[in-house]
Amino acid sequence: MKCSTLIETEAPEAPTASQVRLPMGLLGFEHLKDYLLVTNPAEEPFLWLQVQGNGPLAFVVVNPFLVAPDYQPDLPQADVDFLGIQDPDDAVLLNVVTLHSEGRATVNLKGPIVINRQSFVGKQVVLANASEYAVEHPLPVAQANA
Amino acid sequence: MLILSRKPGESIVIDGRIKVTIVRLEGEAVKIGIEAPAQVPVHRQEVYDEIQRSNRQALVRQSVALPKLTGSKPPARKPKSAAPVHPNPSPLKPA
Repeated sequence: MKCSTLIETEAPEAPTASQVRLPMGLLGFEHLKDYLLVTNPAEEPFLWLQVQGNGPLAFVVVNPFLVAPDYQPDLPQADVDFLGIQDPDDAVLLNVVTLHSEGRATVNLKGPIVINRQSFVGKQVVLANASEYAVEHPLPVAQANA
Repeated sequence: MLILSRKPGESIVIDGRIKVTIVRLEGEAVKIGIEAPAQVPVHRQEVYDEIQRSNRQALVRQSVALPKLTGSKPPARKPKSAAPVHPNPSPLKPA
């Protein structure tokens, strides 16, 4: 399935949060299945995927279409079926951001987290066209408190 | 490690629910077909390792300061604010 839609949300003033369940966890973190997706307008376009019940840990994620406009993720049909996605508009894509020690930031375009916006169930999907994308796609960033 | 000899067209069944079939040989590559339930993740090892490594590196404390995308709008809040990065949000239930 081709996926090209953006997440369309109105920008609220206060942070908002949604519970998200990843039944298979993330690759390497298969045991961490429950998350809180937190959107803080002051930190956009970055969002937080906070680990629930395992200390103050989180992943930083981003809507990939905002940072890689040419992104054309091809989701394997088995994953589309697993997530119960009927319509491409139901698929919310969030890609994991890595903050490197030297102030660099990259985003993983090979393995997006795909969330069904109807059920709030998601999965980290290895794209059928993963070979076209980098696991460390550079982001143009300035340091927050430099 | 269990090592079995299989010819093209022959299969291995694992746990009664995962079927691995040797489809054909193409020079040095072996085409393998895998039939598994949807909840059994199947990945090429090198891609799996790469994403796993990236995820481990990406895990941070919730208090870490986020960078700004250059070229994006200026921050709405004052820099070096004493406010927490994100105050306790009220969880929203899925629609």
